[in-house]
Amino acid sequence: MYLHDFYSRFTLDESLAEVTGFNPYYLSIESGLEDKLMVNGARLINLASNNYLGLAADDRVKKAAVEAVQKYGASLCGTPIATGYIDLYKRLEGKLSAFVGLEETMILPSCYQANNGLFSAIAGAQDLIIVDRYVHSSLIQGIKAAGCKIRPFLHNNLEHLEGILQRSTGYRQIFVVTESVFSTEGSVAPFQEIVQLCQKYNALPVIDDSHGIGVLGKSGRGILEEKGIEGYQGIYTASLGKAIAASGGMISGKSALIKHLKYYCPHLVYSTALIPAALAGIEAVLDIIDTEFGLLKKRLTSYQQIIYESLLEGGFSVVQAKTPINSIKSGSKENTFIITKKLFEKGILTTPFIEPAVPQGEGRVRLIAGANLSEDTIAEAAAVLKEMGRL
Amino acid sequence: MTLEQRVIKTLKDNLEKSPEISLESRLLEDLLVDSLDRMMLLSGLEDEFSITIAEEDFAEVATVSDIVRKLKARLSD
Ligand SMILES: Cc1ncc(COP(=O)(O)O)c(C=O)c1O
Repeated sequence: MYLHDFYSRFTLDESLAEVTGFNPYYLSIESGLEDKLMVNGARLINLASNNYLGLAADDRVKKAAVEAVQKYGASLCGTPIATGYIDLYKRLEGKLSAFVGLEETMILPSCYQANNGLFSAIAGAQDLIIVDRYVHSSLIQGIKAAGCKIRPFLHNNLEHLEGILQRSTGYRQIFVVTESVFSTEGSVAPFQEIVQLCQKYNALPVIDDSHGIGVLGKSGRGILEEKGIEGYQGIYTASLGKAIAASGGMISGKSALIKHLKYYCPHLVYSTALIPAALAGIEAVLDIIDTEFGLLKKRLTSYQQIIYESLLEGGFSVVQAKTPINSIKSGSKENTFIITKKLFEKGILTTPFIEPAVPQGEGRVRLIAGANLSEDTIAEAAAVLKEMGRL
Repeated sequence: MTLEQRVIKTLKDNLEKSPEISLESRLLEDLLVDSLDRMMLLSGLEDEFSITIAEEDFAEVATVSDIVRKLKARLSD
């Protein structure tokens, strides 16, 4: 039969969903990120989105996005190098650069795409990329595409990293790649020390600040502000779909490099530019962060604490959190699904992580309480979590 | 240190949480080695024995003693 062999290779193993009676993936969401979320016709407390500052459904952000649609339409139907580069796009590049304190920025349709495209544009066969073993799939895929030597180092382990740097000679350029906040459990990279090691060994640091931008630092400017890193000489990437509450990915750094990438990174050059609604939403979020970060961060931190303590009281094994991410150590993938299912049935939406997103047998259930949730909703979630453990 | 001990120590130093390792340990089932771990282990062995390892050469190693056997063959070349 025509193409039968080809299509028969693609079957989905749904045994885990069958065994646990629950599939947490591709749930149908029927509302925006209001205080509660409509899922499959039920109202749930949303501890699953990366909407840290709670600005995704903020009225001011919605208004900015709507106005941009009215002015520019739904899309410019062009890549940035062609007709997608509206004045708003250019202005936002400048604002994002100023926000993170770097010379220049380019904006791609997503950070997955940014991380995918970056490395093949800057590294090749004569280079070495040293990378934290737990970084995001987008970085791994991007690094593999560069065709250079790859050496993973043990998670956040400076000694292991330095050992590798010491022994690595004869490369044209060495890169050290890591993330600011590791998203499955909220650990933070010792990035100041990593930058120092890079200086010592003439390596170039690359940081993905997707879960740090808008969250870390005293005014929300991310990992560089958090760690007091000035005059950063490396490369910075971040998703604009988490605390920044829109979509898109940024790459920032030295002017000469970004100018080069704007012509030579195919993931930017050949892909339709981010739409006006997203660009305007990001601009509005940056303005809100400028004036309200203190307040939003205080709420975020207090919610995280309440959830953390409730989880402990409920008898869960929880990762000691340093960021707004709370993470239950759920062990096997079956147990990870079962915990997610029980929480779902009690009205709380969370995010399960099983292999390959985490090492085998080290499942995690992640809970993020965004600053948009009301205190009543947090109290309701806390009560459920405390009670859960006793069941 | 014997070659076996050096291999075991290198593996231990290049895996998260330094697991208990013996010659019989299976990489996948016992040590839960994934593709990034494998890269990290092979690079660690390259450093320890001052050799370069082509990943394809070690593609089918399943246990620690398989690694030892491969290395012995390699070092006696
Ligand atoms: C660390 C990290 N990098 C990159 C991405 C991808 O970003 P985006 O959603 O903008 O493609 C994510 C998650 O989505 C992430 O957690």
